[in-house]
Amino acid sequence: MFELILAALVLPIVIGLMTLTQKNLMTIRYTNLVGSALTSGIILAIIRKITEIKVFSSEFLYVDYLSAVLLLVVALLTFTATLFSLPYMEREVKEGHATEKMIPRYYALLNLFTFAMVSVLVVGNLGLMWVAVEGTTLASALLVAFYFNRSALEAAWKYVMICTVGICLALLGTMILYYAQVNAVGETQALNWLYLKQISNTLNPTIVKLAFVFILIGYGTKAGLAPMHTWLPDAHSQAPSPVSGLLSGALLSCAFYALIRNIIIIQGTIGTEFIHTVLLGLGILSVLLAIPFVLVQHDVKRLLAYSSVEHMGIIAIGFGVGTPLAVYAALLHIINHAIAKSALFYLVGIISQEYKTRHLKEIQGIARVMPSVATMFMIGILAITGTPPLNIFISKFLLIMAMFENKMWLLGGLTLLLLVGVFAGLMNYALKMTFSNVPEKMKRANVSPVALTAIGLSLCLMIIGGVYLPTILSEILTKAAEIVIGG
Amino acid sequence: MTLLTILLLAGAVILTRVSSLRTAVGILGLQSVIVALACLIFGLKTGEFHMYIAAVLTAVIKVGLIVYSLWRVTLQLKHEREIANFNVSFLLAIVAIIVSYGFVNKVLPHMAGETLGAAIALTMIGLLMIIARSQAIMQVVGLITMENGLYLLGLSITKGLPLIIEMGIFFDILVAVVVLVILTHRLKYSFETTDTSILNELKG
Repeated sequence: MFELILAALVLPIVIGLMTLTQKNLMTIRYTNLVGSALTSGIILAIIRKITEIKVFSSEFLYVDYLSAVLLLVVALLTFTATLFSLPYMEREVKEGHATEKMIPRYYALLNLFTFAMVSVLVVGNLGLMWVAVEGTTLASALLVAFYFNRSALEAAWKYVMICTVGICLALLGTMILYYAQVNAVGETQALNWLYLKQISNTLNPTIVKLAFVFILIGYGTKAGLAPMHTWLPDAHSQAPSPVSGLLSGALLSCAFYALIRNIIIIQGTIGTEFIHTVLLGLGILSVLLAIPFVLVQHDVKRLLAYSSVEHMGIIAIGFGVGTPLAVYAALLHIINHAIAKSALFYLVGIISQEYKTRHLKEIQGIARVMPSVATMFMIGILAITGTPPLNIFISKFLLIMAMFENKMWLLGGLTLLLLVGVFAGLMNYALKMTFSNVPEKMKRANVSPVALTAIGLSLCLMIIGGVYLPTILSEILTKAAEIVIGG
Repeated sequence: MTLLTILLLAGAVILTRVSSLRTAVGILGLQSVIVALACLIFGLKTGEFHMYIAAVLTAVIKVGLIVYSLWRVTLQLKHEREIANFNVSFLLAIVAIIVSYGFVNKVLPHMAGETLGAAIALTMIGLLMIIARSQAIMQVVGLITMENGLYLLGLSITKGLPLIIEMGIFFDILVAVVVLVILTHRLKYSFETTDTSILNELKG
């Protein structure tokens, strides 16, 4: 197991270095494709192994069912993102948005980003987890700024500044948590997650509550929860589309994972009431604040970015309700959202390359220009808005069911109402984009089969996920939910 | 220790009145030197070996590499000056110091050393600078100030985090500065200024 984890960490670094030393674009592409397939394969092997041994822990590493859920997300998304990058970046070079010299840097950073995300999920120490989360910001910052044009620079500057300040507060929270640990049991096994979990009931509740506030603000900023989400639409809309997909699907989820790991400790000390109330509040606020921006939007990628804020809100609500079913639904929602949102970002990448704009009013009649892309786009939008029988419907449905089961009538009703609002906004734009008249300058366009494969892979998972959940995944999710609840 | 604390806070307060980028970077360097010294003194007091390593790391990374890279950028930004309302931030910085010491004395009287209050004040002044300053370099200086404050805070409430975590934090801060320096270069190149208040195109 140790070797597998080590391999999953070392491989992206090696591939990244190899990419930097290469000049031949063909070689770079194949190295990265093979490399990311291998990395994903290794991560899947880790997940497989976890279902057998349940928990792996060493001095600094710790993997259990909860990490497995997120590892699955990272494995799927890094592979599709790399696969989609091949045709996407090729076209960016062809159209002059990027130069050939920038390509090695792109793939090297992409690998570094993968490394940072995997390390967030496999470390078993809250201090090192902080280091890894900050690492994801830094690795992705130069990807957000990749085009180095004015708006990309603006987005990247805000991204680094807001997230680093936020994450500094999380560091403060982590230090306070360590102070609580030192006061209670001394300095051995500093910030070791497993050890902290065992001794969590001996910590001083007042101090831990203070730590919780800072940790929540810190990781909440990184996870895109409102009102700390202001960097998110900028960064997600300015990054190259494959990276937007990764940021939205995988990175937000990883930040949420760090938050949950901390919360598991904290709830052992101060109980769940305060935590759940705050999570529910932030969750509802995120959905609420996202709606006006989804309803009145001019940029297609910002539209999707605000939809990510909304989905992070839904996930927070799930953890806030806190029953086994609700947590199960929230974890399933993390996976489902990651797959659907990344596919949508890839599709929008193709669309905006073809129309040479991201402006919603100028993108019209995709169904005529690129029928295959239009079909996929509609399926993606139907999935992300939670239409049956696609995957996100299942997790949203389970979540609402958990709320009603828990007699949260008002909250459940409110959530449903808000989701209808988001549905209306996204559908309105998606239908206009897909079925309106074609602008005169647009002709029927060919789409790269590689790009369609990458997206098709995600779409298959979305459709299958709507009707069938493999027993092994369901088992992982159930066990992960138990860990979150504190079993 | 008292002398160092006074110097540290005085430096931070002066930082809120500085308009020249190079002076700000210089004061930041001085601040990091003080933090390294504080580390050394803690090491002598407690006899913990890892404090010495932390002191060396602070000296190399925060005093050496970070200040050097910021200094190099400021050499290319000769005409950039900070224009902000210094009086307000000066006043807020002093309020921050009073509030932090008041808070520590009232809420955590049993650990009211000199450094804890200073650490909280430094963190708050750093945050204040990030919010109130518009020059890119000034914001970076604010960020490092904030991080220095957090570091001191860690030192004064526990005996510092375990070395491996601390090394990770140092590394992150270094990379963050490198990334921000690259972005600052690009800002200068694309916008012909490093005043971040013009970064207001992305909305809605």
